[in-house]
Amino acid sequence: MKRLILTMTVSLMVMVFTAGLVAAETLDITIPLPLTGSKAKFGEIEKRSYEIAAEEINAAGGIKGKKVVLHFEDSQGKPEIARAIAEKIIDVKKQPFVVGAYSSSCSKAIAAVAEERKIPYLVVTGASDTITRKNYKYIFRMNPSVSYYTGGLRSFLKKVVKPKSVAILYESTDFGTKGAEGMVKDAKKLGMKVVMKEKYESGAVDFKPILSKLKSKRPDVIYMVSYVMDAALLMRQIKELRIDAKLFAGGAAGFAIPEFIENAKDASEYVVTATLWSPQVAYPGAKEFAEKYKARAGKYPSYHGAEAYSALYVMKDVLERAKSWTPDDIRDALKATDIVTAFGPVKFEDREGYQNQNFMDTLVLQVINGKHETIWPEKYATKKYVYPIPKWRDRR
Amino acid sequence: MSVQIEIFLQTLIAGLLLGGLYALIGIGMTLIMGVMKIINLAHGELMMVAMYIAYWLFVLFHIDPYVSVLIATPVMFFMGVAIQKYLINPVMKVESILPENQVILTVGIGMVLSNMATIFFTSDYRSTPVDYASNAFYLSDYWRDSPIELSLSIPWTVSFILAVIITVSLWFFLTKTDTGKSIRATAQDKDAALMMGVNVERMRVVTFGLGAALVGAAGCLFIPIYYLYPALGGKFTLIAFVITILGGLGSTIGAIIGGLILGIFESMTATYVGMGWAPVGRFVIFIAALIFLPGGVAAILRRHKLGK
Repeated sequence: MKRLILTMTVSLMVMVFTAGLVAAETLDITIPLPLTGSKAKFGEIEKRSYEIAAEEINAAGGIKGKKVVLHFEDSQGKPEIARAIAEKIIDVKKQPFVVGAYSSSCSKAIAAVAEERKIPYLVVTGASDTITRKNYKYIFRMNPSVSYYTGGLRSFLKKVVKPKSVAILYESTDFGTKGAEGMVKDAKKLGMKVVMKEKYESGAVDFKPILSKLKSKRPDVIYMVSYVMDAALLMRQIKELRIDAKLFAGGAAGFAIPEFIENAKDASEYVVTATLWSPQVAYPGAKEFAEKYKARAGKYPSYHGAEAYSALYVMKDVLERAKSWTPDDIRDALKATDIVTAFGPVKFEDREGYQNQNFMDTLVLQVINGKHETIWPEKYATKKYVYPIPKWRDRR
Repeated sequence: MSVQIEIFLQTLIAGLLLGGLYALIGIGMTLIMGVMKIINLAHGELMMVAMYIAYWLFVLFHIDPYVSVLIATPVMFFMGVAIQKYLINPVMKVESILPENQVILTVGIGMVLSNMATIFFTSDYRSTPVDYASNAFYLSDYWRDSPIELSLSIPWTVSFILAVIITVSLWFFLTKTDTGKSIRATAQDKDAALMMGVNVERMRVVTFGLGAALVGAAGCLFIPIYYLYPALGGKFTLIAFVITILGGLGSTIGAIIGGLILGIFESMTATYVGMGWAPVGRFVIFIAALIFLPGGVAAILRRHKLGK
């Protein structure tokens, strides 16, 4: 009897010990991020998001029983440093895949190294079109490229609003000009006439002159590419002048953040805007992530955070499915990815000249009852869109 | 046709309202210019400070920005007095290679102010979300069958009216009171004023305080229609500078007319040329005033024996 107990205890201890050993085995992932320099703000958002994801994954038992340990290397947002980091990850650390980087230029530099060494690389947030248009075999991208940002808005216009004409107002910066050019192209595709395309000086006090002119053109859609305070002033003055259009659409981040509603107040009601992601979106885990992030950082994350957070989950999924953890098997597993993350559905496709590009739907938000609600695509909608929108005179 | 009239009238209204507020910003600078012969390049930053005062009064105590005019204006007056007394006056007394080092000092003061605002209040954009921010009067509400629709924004109109009231009271202060007359005397001829027993140094202090108070009032009036951030000063310093040149250096009435001209000109440019051209228009006016009208509006008025 004594012996039996002894054997049992010993075997139990052995089991616990080995289990402990297995759990102690780690998977080290090194991620290049801009942690200093002008892009540090985004690097910080992404770092925090990766960490949240890693903690969650580890709490749920890690990846194939291995504990994820993250290391961050500071790229300073410089492509040459990003390239050196990628070489270190691949040649020294022998990591069979690369994930991360923030800017397009850094992502491009890493992509070149990864492709050359035949190591799969998951691009996170680099949005330049060219990254996934170079016939690379090992480069995958989670976010739509910059030309697809307004895809959701375009389909909303096409299916619901069916406008005949559009007026475009944009700030006289590179960013505003690009946004306006994109809309002109979209308008051509949708058969809309561009009745007015005017730039303005960002920070202007009074938009009423330009808006009175716009009013006389009677466009179906008013499309604005503006930063947040200009956006709020524009909508306030549109309300003042009672300019009625079928739809007020914002083409940039300025319309998608809470400050827009705070400043424009009731004038912001029913304004729609295109975005990649929002904390309110109905993707599984999106809200939980947003709340968890807010608890740590004090404010909601931008789409950069959600994408980084989800990137680690994509890697978890890929590593669990891969036949072995060699670069080629991981690449094959990446290619076969088809999951829905907190950032949205992820599936890498080759089409329209892109390779291994995730063509996720971009979202359309509308301000309804003083809150941003996702209205398009309908399957992710948190609320039914309000269209047609009431005329200013009839509001309230 | 009626559409064109509507656009024109609406633009004119917008220009007038904007011009009235511009004038108030310009007067403060022009007063300081007249008495001290220096351009106060911290003018916009002083306005920024007043806007932060109005902002925090609204956020913390729910005091309407229009009421904070009564609080922010005296605060700015004393701030202006302090700046003149403890910073500018000592520099004026120092012999230096550069005769305009007081001007450089004001640039420095402006930088300090805007950087302090960044440190204390962060560089976030803020605005006071007053409830009436986008309310307006509409012509068609009063005249049902009106062929054209015009609107008159409530906060813009209130700000404009207050700006007019402040300007008129300033006018009375300068023409009817002893202190006002002393200020004008100092502006016209410092040495003669000194011999007539005017305390020139004290007038300088009062003038700088007055200039700061005026731009402080302008800041409060701007808050319901605009927003604020620490770096906003430079933009308004520039506007005030253009108005001061256009109005004729140191002329109050010139600054009022200059402000209105600039406001209307900017609005008209925005409607008929393109809003992206507004900053270009501002500098065209500036250069045109320097070349063709070196004395500004004041020179024309003087020629017709209108100005003081």
